[in-house]
Amino acid sequence: MWRNYVTVGIRALAKSRTYAFINIFGLAMGMTACLMILLYVRYELSYDRWIPGSDRIHQVQSWYKSQETGQEAQLQMTPYISGKSIRDSFPQIESEVYVSNNNPVFSRDGQATSTEDYLWVDGNFLDVVPLPMVRGDASALGQVNSAVLTQSEARRRFGTDDVIGQTMTLITRGVARDFRITGILQDLPRNSHFRINSLIRIDYPAYLGDTPDVLTCWGCQNGWVYVKLRPGADAGAIEAGLPAWEDRAIPDETAGEARFNAGDDQDWHIVNLEDVHLGRAQGGAMSPGNDRTTIITFAIVALLILGMAVVNFTNLATARASQRAREVALRKALGATRRQLVMQFVGESIIVAVVAMLIALALLELLVPPFASFLEADLQVAYLGADGIGLPVLGLVLVVGILGGLYPAFFLSRFEPASVLKANKSSSETPGTGRLRSALVVAQFAVSIGLIICTAIIYGQTVYARTVDPGFRRDHILQVDELSRYQLLDKGEMLAERMRRVPGVEAAGLTTIGVATDNQNNTGVMVPGRPDPVTIGIYQVDEGFLGAMGMELVAGRWFDAARPMDDMTLPYPPEPASQRALAARGGNIVINELAARRLGFEDPARAVGRTFRAGLIQNELGLVPVTVIGVVRDARFRSVRQPMDPIMFQNTNTGHSNIIVRFNGDPAQVRAGIERVWKGVTTEVPFEAEFSDGIMAELYEAEDARAQTFAAFAMLAIVVACLGLFGLAAFTAERRTKEIGIRKVLGARTRDIVRLLAWQFSKPIIVANLIAWPVAWWMMRDWLNNFDARIDLGPAPFVLAGLIALAIAIGTIATHAIRVARANPIHALRYE
Amino acid sequence: MKEVDSIVGNEGNRLMLSMRELSRVYRTDTVETTALDGIFLDVADGEFVAIMGPSGCGKSTLLNVIGMLDSPSSGSYVFNGTEVAGLTESKLADFRKRNIGFIFQSFNLVDELTVRENIELALLYHNVPAAERRARVDEVMDKVGIAHRAKHRPSQLSGGQQQRVAVARALVASPKLILADEPTGNLDTAHGEEVMKMLQALNAEGSTIVMVTHSPSHADYAGRVVNMLDGRILVEHRRAA
Repeated sequence: MWRNYVTVGIRALAKSRTYAFINIFGLAMGMTACLMILLYVRYELSYDRWIPGSDRIHQVQSWYKSQETGQEAQLQMTPYISGKSIRDSFPQIESEVYVSNNNPVFSRDGQATSTEDYLWVDGNFLDVVPLPMVRGDASALGQVNSAVLTQSEARRRFGTDDVIGQTMTLITRGVARDFRITGILQDLPRNSHFRINSLIRIDYPAYLGDTPDVLTCWGCQNGWVYVKLRPGADAGAIEAGLPAWEDRAIPDETAGEARFNAGDDQDWHIVNLEDVHLGRAQGGAMSPGNDRTTIITFAIVALLILGMAVVNFTNLATARASQRAREVALRKALGATRRQLVMQFVGESIIVAVVAMLIALALLELLVPPFASFLEADLQVAYLGADGIGLPVLGLVLVVGILGGLYPAFFLSRFEPASVLKANKSSSETPGTGRLRSALVVAQFAVSIGLIICTAIIYGQTVYARTVDPGFRRDHILQVDELSRYQLLDKGEMLAERMRRVPGVEAAGLTTIGVATDNQNNTGVMVPGRPDPVTIGIYQVDEGFLGAMGMELVAGRWFDAARPMDDMTLPYPPEPASQRALAARGGNIVINELAARRLGFEDPARAVGRTFRAGLIQNELGLVPVTVIGVVRDARFRSVRQPMDPIMFQNTNTGHSNIIVRFNGDPAQVRAGIERVWKGVTTEVPFEAEFSDGIMAELYEAEDARAQTFAAFAMLAIVVACLGLFGLAAFTAERRTKEIGIRKVLGARTRDIVRLLAWQFSKPIIVANLIAWPVAWWMMRDWLNNFDARIDLGPAPFVLAGLIALAIAIGTIATHAIRVARANPIHALRYE
Repeated sequence: MKEVDSIVGNEGNRLMLSMRELSRVYRTDTVETTALDGIFLDVADGEFVAIMGPSGCGKSTLLNVIGMLDSPSSGSYVFNGTEVAGLTESKLADFRKRNIGFIFQSFNLVDELTVRENIELALLYHNVPAAERRARVDEVMDKVGIAHRAKHRPSQLSGGQQQRVAVARALVASPKLILADEPTGNLDTAHGEEVMKMLQALNAEGSTIVMVTHSPSHADYAGRVVNMLDGRILVEHRRAA
C-alpha cells in the first residue's frame, strides 16, 4: 500500500514539474532561511553560557538618566568605587573584581607596539570568571604584577605559548612596568562579550596614586565590575536592594554652592553574564552587543518565509485538487477509507518536505560560511548533539509536511466518488477554497510588501546616516590617535606644528573629541537664576581645531593664541594651586548651538559675552567662571543613533587625545609624512591614524550588515511569494481556460484576456497593500525613533513597495495570461 | 467520386458563405490526419442547414472553420463576400465577433456569472453602451423565455434552461449566422425538442443557422441536410417544402 502511495506521489510530482519545482524549491528556501536564522539566534543566545558557573556571575551596570533632559544611557561600565561598595554591602557576593582597559604599549627588545584588549584587573579575575586555561590554573592572578595571556596573543608576542615565568614589559602612564606571566588562557570563542588578549593584575590604588579622585568618584564610569554570587544566592534580591544601597552609599557632593548626588542621575543594576550581550545596556561595552529586537525580528522573518512556503504548498495542492479528484473517487470506489486517503496525501506532502529539506541542507552548508563571516559570528553546522540541527531538521520536516498536507488532504478526501465519476467534472471545487486561497495570497503579499517597505526605509536610513551633514567637513580628515599617552602629554602642540608643514596638509588641530571618538565628558554649568546645574559636554581643543575639523562659527569668535584669557591649560598631574588660580581668574569658552539653547539662548548671538560657572576643576576647589566668546554650529561627532551633544570647548595646550589633520594631497603620502613626524617625536608610542571614511564605515559596519541581511531575507520572502503566485496563476489560467475560450469566441482580443487576468491578480495585491502599509508604518516609526538623526517617514517607500509588488505579480502571471489568451478556444470548449 | 454541390441557396437568396475545395489537415510529428477533404459548400442567407454524420467524420471541424475558430489548410472560404482563408487571428476574431453566434452542446456558460451577465458577455466586446446592453439582454431573455431566471447562476438551472441562455447569448449581438454544435446533445428529449423549436422559430424570423447534429429527427427541423463521411460531403438533400 505504501509503495503504491509513494509511486503515485512521485509520479504526481513528476507529471507537473512546475508545481513540483515551486513546492520543493520554495520550501527549500524557506527551510534554509529558517535553519540559518536558527543557527544565528542560537549563537546570539549562547553568549557567555560556556563559562563555567555563568549563572552565578554578574556584571554591575550603571544606567544613566538625566533628570534635566530625560536622556538615557545604559552603561555596562560603572565607577570603581561602586563595585567595592556593593561587594561590602551584600553578603551574598562571594567575590568581586574591577576591570579596566588601558591599552598599554607593549615593549620588547626596544620595540614599542600598541596593544588591544589588555585589561587591568584589581583582583584575581579568574576567581570571579573562571575562563578555561591552557597553562597555569585559576590562581594565576593571585599576586599583584602577574599576568595571563591568551594562547594566540602569547604566540603573537613571543612566538610560543610556553612563556610561563617570563616577564612582559608594558608601558603605561609613561612608565615601563614588568609583569610575570603566570598563565595562558584558551582563546576566547567569539560568543562572549569579553574581549581579552591579556589580563594584568595591578595594585589599582597605587597605580592611580597621582589621581586618587578616580578611586572615589561616583560619576566616573571607566571600568567593568564583575561579581560572583555565593551558591544559591538570589540575584533578584540584590537587584531589589540596590536602590536602598544607592541612598545609603553615595555621599552628597558640593561644588561651590551647588549640592548634588551621583545617585540622582544613575541607577545600578546587576546583570547576569548570559544576558550582557543582548541586554538593554550597550554603552561602554567591551564588545558590540546586539539587541533582542533584532534577533526576534530575524526569527519572525524566517518564520514568515517558511510560512509563505507552506502556504504555497497548501494553495497549490488545493488548487490542483481537481486533477486528483478522479484518483480519489476511484480509490474510494475501490474501498479506501477517508483516513487512508488523508494518510496518503499527508504522506505525499512529507515526501515533498523531505526532498525540500535535503536541498535546504545542501544550501545551508554552502551559505553558512559566508553568512557567518558576514555577521562576524561563529556559526557552524552540526547535526548531532545539543547544539546540532538534527532535531530541528526533523521537526521542520514533520511540521511543514503535516501543516502543508493536512488541509489539502482533508479537502481532497472529501470528494464524493459518485458525483466526480459520473459527472466527469473538473470544476469540482467548492467556492470556499477559492476565498481561502485569495486570503492566503493576500497575506503572503502583505508580508512581502511590508518587508519591501522595511527594507527601503532601513536602506534609506543607512544611507542617510552616512551622508547626513555632520556639521563639519567630514572628508579629507586623517585622525591621529594615541595622543593621550603619558609620554606625549606636552608634545601635542609640537606634533601639530610639524604636521602642518607636511606637504599636502592644510590644517591640524588638537582635540579630545573627533570623528566617532568614544570618550564622553560632561560637567555641570550653573546658569544664573537656576538652582540646578545644566549638563554640558566639555572637550579640550586648541586654536587649530576649528579649521582642521571644518566647523562653522555662527556667532562671536574662535580661540586666539594671542589672548591669555582664551587659554585654560592646567598642569598635569593636577595641582590645587593652579586650579584655585583658574577658579579665581576664569576663562573663555566656545559652545555649540545646542549648548546655547540648553543655557537658555535660542539666538546663539545672545549667548556671546555671557558668563556662567562651570565645574572644570576638583569640586571642592569651586566652580570656574567661563565667558562664552563664540558659538559654533552643532556638529555630529558620533553615530546618528546617539543624540547630539551640547558642547563647551575649552582651549588648552596639553591633555588632548587626537590630532585632526585636514589634507588635500595624496592620502597615502600625507599619511606617510604624518607618520614620519610622529616617529620623529616618539618611538615609545605606536602611530595610529585612520581616515575619516574608514572610521565612518566602521561606525556603521554592524548596522549595515544587519540591514543587508534583512534585505536578503526580505528578497527571499518576495521570491517565495512570487513562486506561489506563479503557481496559482498557472493554475487559474488553466482553470479559466473554458471561460477564456467563451470570451474569445464572443470576440475578446488577447489583450482583453490579459487585462482580465492581470486585474484578477492585482486585486489581492491592492488589498495586501492596505494591510501592509499601516503595519509597516507603525514598525518603522518605532525603529526610526532609535535614531537621533533620522529620515522622515514619507509615502514614497510605501507606494514604491506597492508598485514593485504589483509589477512583480503582473510580471509573474503575464506569461501564463498571454499563453492562455492566445490559445485556440476550440480545445477549451469542445469538452467539459 | 465526388458529389459536387453547386446548388444556389434556396429561393435564390444571396450567398452567406461559400467554400471551394476547402481542406483541413492536422499534423503531428508522426501522423497526418485529414479532417476536411475538398469541401464545396454554399449557405445562402436565411437558410437552416443541418450537418450529419458519424463521430469523427469532420462535422465539428467544418463547423469550427465556418465559425472561424479554425483556419483551412487549403482552399477558399468566402464569407459574406470576403475571402477569409488566410486572414490573421485578430482579423478573424473581429469578423467572428461581428457576424457569428455560437451554441455549444455543453452550453459553455461561465459558472461564476449570472444568466444576465452570461448573455451580456457577448455584448461586452462590442462597445455597446450599458443602457443599450441592458435593453438588448432583456429582449433576448424574453424571446427565449428565461427572463425570470436572470439572476440565477448556470448551476441553478436545468440543462434545457442553460441551453436557452446559451441561445440567448448567441442571439444578443444580432449575428448574421448562428452555429450550433449538437445543441441538443446534452438534453433529454423534451428539452431537446424545445430548443429545436426555438431554433426553427429563429430561422423563420430570418436567422441563418448551421447546426451539427446526430439526431435525424432534429435534422428534420432544418431546410437542408448535409451528410458527411471521412471529411467529405457525401450527399445533401433538401427537405421538401
